[in-house]
Amino acid sequence: MSTTLAYYPGCSLHGTSGEFDASFRASARALGLTLQEIPGWECCGNTAAHSINRLLSNALPVNELVKVEQDMKLDAVAVPCAACYSRFKTGAHEVAEDAHTAEDVRAVVGREYGGGVDVQNLIDVYHDAVGLEELAAKATRPFDGLKVACYYGCLLTRPPKITLADNPEYPTHMDAVVKAIGCEPVEWNYKTDCCGAALALTEQGITDDLVGRILTDAKACGAQAVSVACPLCQVNLDGRQSEIMRKQKDWQPIPIIFLSQLVGRAVGVSDKELGLKKHLMDVMGVMA
Amino acid sequence: MTTCSPSATLSQRIAAGCDENALKCYQCKKCTSGCPVARYSDMHPAMIMRAVQLGQWDMIFDDRFIWLCTGCETCTARCPQGIDIAAIMDELKIMARRQGRIPADTPSAAMLKLNYDSFVRWGRMWEVELIAIDVLKRPTSVKSWLSLGPKMMLKGKINPTLKRGDTLAMKRMVQTAETITRAREARAAEALAADGSAAPAGAGGAS
Repeated sequence: MSTTLAYYPGCSLHGTSGEFDASFRASARALGLTLQEIPGWECCGNTAAHSINRLLSNALPVNELVKVEQDMKLDAVAVPCAACYSRFKTGAHEVAEDAHTAEDVRAVVGREYGGGVDVQNLIDVYHDAVGLEELAAKATRPFDGLKVACYYGCLLTRPPKITLADNPEYPTHMDAVVKAIGCEPVEWNYKTDCCGAALALTEQGITDDLVGRILTDAKACGAQAVSVACPLCQVNLDGRQSEIMRKQKDWQPIPIIFLSQLVGRAVGVSDKELGLKKHLMDVMGVMA
Repeated sequence: MTTCSPSATLSQRIAAGCDENALKCYQCKKCTSGCPVARYSDMHPAMIMRAVQLGQWDMIFDDRFIWLCTGCETCTARCPQGIDIAAIMDELKIMARRQGRIPADTPSAAMLKLNYDSFVRWGRMWEVELIAIDVLKRPTSVKSWLSLGPKMMLKGKINPTLKRGDTLAMKRMVQTAETITRAREARAAEALAADGSAAPAGAGGAS
């Protein structure tokens, strides 16, 4: 495994989740990984393209994979946004499995993808590209048994034939990563339930229900914080709590922390660089 | 290609669009059991699958369900028949949009289009632009935006600026993809018509 990875930040990491971008870069640097951002990257098509133009939704991520493979000459790309990751894995899977799609995608992209790029999500980078032993060895400021609920949400594990997740119903790789940096992962029930972030701008009543249920279980199972690896999950689980608190006066907030912020803190990245002040629900109580 | 009765036109069209065979569904309802939004509308995933099998376009397109679907893929992951149900939901959204069959109380449908237009325009999705246009077009959304937006702005959570992608490359890809898609659809429609069992092009009623 190379220690130089291509890097696709995606729109959210440049928009509402700058702290995800900053903490991922800083943690990678501390762990000895070199990240090369794909020059002039485009949107992966996100949740909109596949329900409007299926071909475009496969072509956009493959176009980025072609740049990594043929312009940057790298064999792996880090895609920390779970939604982008899902589009990358799906695009690569579709052109590998379906000759018609491959032909159409080639026409749109203008070049043929050779299939030589390993697409890694945030968990993969720490779990596989760095490795758990290396991660534990470099954790100069490990946590002292912070109880963390690892939330995987939808697109890091589903659909399993595309993501090849370790266990799509009860994944454990993020749990192993937080354990390596001194946290205590809790067993809980909503690891892979949808938080409804796709509806956060249009159907807030539904989103509040889904977020409330997920976080109630995390707290009931003893978690002091929730670890996430998706910018949409983070903004939704964190932000909707302020509305849930308004409706439910006895709601005890729980911090929603990017896995890259937990890892970054453990390997000695400063609080400022990790963007800990951008959260709506205070995280300093558990990150200090 | 599936062998179809005349009433199966909708499932044929789905198969032509996303290569999924809805007729394999035997109504075990695992999809509905795991669906995070099934309780919020009259229809639910297993019911949608049955309506597809029976060619009940109106039942599907008059209901909010397909627009509440978050694309979480739980149905696809759990289907014992290996049907990519989420892909069928996407195909139904594509068909509904093309036929102008979007119910009034589904702001998510417009949001998807705003999102699409944003990245087509700039090469990247501009979140602040999405919210701004949504507020202008749908004044009722102001209240929900005000409950959270200013707090996020104050924390510096939202970066209002945009760094464009390669907009020329994006435009070229979008145009090519749309041209190829239209050509493929025309060929699929001809093939279905040749089968002698297809509804007229653009048919919106129950077949």
